[in-house]
Amino acid sequence: MVRISILILIGLLTVFPGNITAQTAEEMVDLCAGKIGDDATYLKDFQVKLGVAVEGRPPVARYPLVLSSNNIYRFSICDMEDSEGKAVIKLYDNNRLIFSSYAEDTSEEFNPFNFMCRKTGIYHVFISFLDGKPGEAVGILSYVNKK
Amino acid sequence: MIRKSLLFLLSMALITSCQSKKAKWSEDNLDVPDSLELAADVQISEEALDEIVQNVSSPIEMAALIKEIGTPFSIDYLATTDYVDRYNTSFQMAYILGVFGADLGYLNIYDKNTQIVDYITSINKLADGIKVGQFFDFSTMKRLATSRENIDSLMYISVNSFNNMDSYLRDNQRGHLSALMITGIWVEGMYLATQVAKENSDPALFNRIGEQKLNMNNLFLILNAYESQKQVQDLIEILNRIKVEFDQVEITYEMGEPETVEQDGMIMIVQNEKSIVHITEKQMESIIRITEEVRNKLIES
Repeated sequence: MVRISILILIGLLTVFPGNITAQTAEEMVDLCAGKIGDDATYLKDFQVKLGVAVEGRPPVARYPLVLSSNNIYRFSICDMEDSEGKAVIKLYDNNRLIFSSYAEDTSEEFNPFNFMCRKTGIYHVFISFLDGKPGEAVGILSYVNKK
Repeated sequence: MIRKSLLFLLSMALITSCQSKKAKWSEDNLDVPDSLELAADVQISEEALDEIVQNVSSPIEMAALIKEIGTPFSIDYLATTDYVDRYNTSFQMAYILGVFGADLGYLNIYDKNTQIVDYITSINKLADGIKVGQFFDFSTMKRLATSRENIDSLMYISVNSFNNMDSYLRDNQRGHLSALMITGIWVEGMYLATQVAKENSDPALFNRIGEQKLNMNNLFLILNAYESQKQVQDLIEILNRIKVEFDQVEITYEMGEPETVEQDGMIMIVQNEKSIVHITEKQMESIIRITEEVRNKLIES
């Protein structure tokens, strides 16, 4: 009887493990969105979980998004508490890098950064972890309110 | 020892089940037969579709622009919530959910808490109707709206709820409902913008309306993926009236290198490549008129 109960409970845990991660990620979204600043409005989040680099190539998460001209957007990134790697958020226009939250040559961090868009179109957000380490992070896209 | 292990496992199981978004969750909610049939109807890969779906801009941006150009608030622009009970098919509910979502964005931008309660009540009904109510935090939103406290939180929870509903629908082979919701959001956003454009020919607003040509094309890619359904086919046919008008609008690009400046202690990248919308007064008049007809037809049908 005890063995059956244990099996049922293990079964339950096997069925629902995703909820633990999902909830944690959701909490992280709330936390990260709370840091965007009073002058910005949350629009979208990017929840990322990446593994370790394979053959020196770190995995990258990529998200397309439409940005509209004459808007200022804010890009920010938050590492999950137990994340091994440090996350970097990059904005691309086609294959051209517009900006990165981390400058590799100077090790300077620019998180968050603003982007004044003047060309409506499809852009891409790339999120990866420094030094090919695995990690979990949440990226936030927000709209900067005009004064 | 066995008892301790059992207690530990039991508490873990309880924590796990409590962590699923909200108490509304039940096994019945997971039973959505139409989703399974539709998985086979998608004409392009889920991955490609996912990429397109992320490419429809937020209604908040349109509402923010409307306010920024000095437009006074008007409840007359919004779709009425009086007949919410008439929408009883999943097709209608998903579409109207999007419409009310765009209206909620407009109300949030103007801090109209009294009206917000009506809209979140209706959205909650519709979300429950298509079994995504667990992602709509109605009680918190109602508390924030009625207490008139922390309007930023209300805005955040509203936008986040819609993002979560959309992700859930797409992740659970119910992408057709996500497509309808996105269509509702887009059409209502266009309606709000074009109603304002009737009275105010602000160039920024005209540009933003013209730029919707890009979103419209994305929307068609999404809807075409589900065109094997008669209702989606009919919707495409109706929306095609707006598309025909947008096909006349021209968007050109001017090249330029980006600059990096520091503003209020934060780095800002200023893009110098520009998109320029070429839209005539006549084209704008047609877009305004047809958008109104299409929007009214869709919320009445």
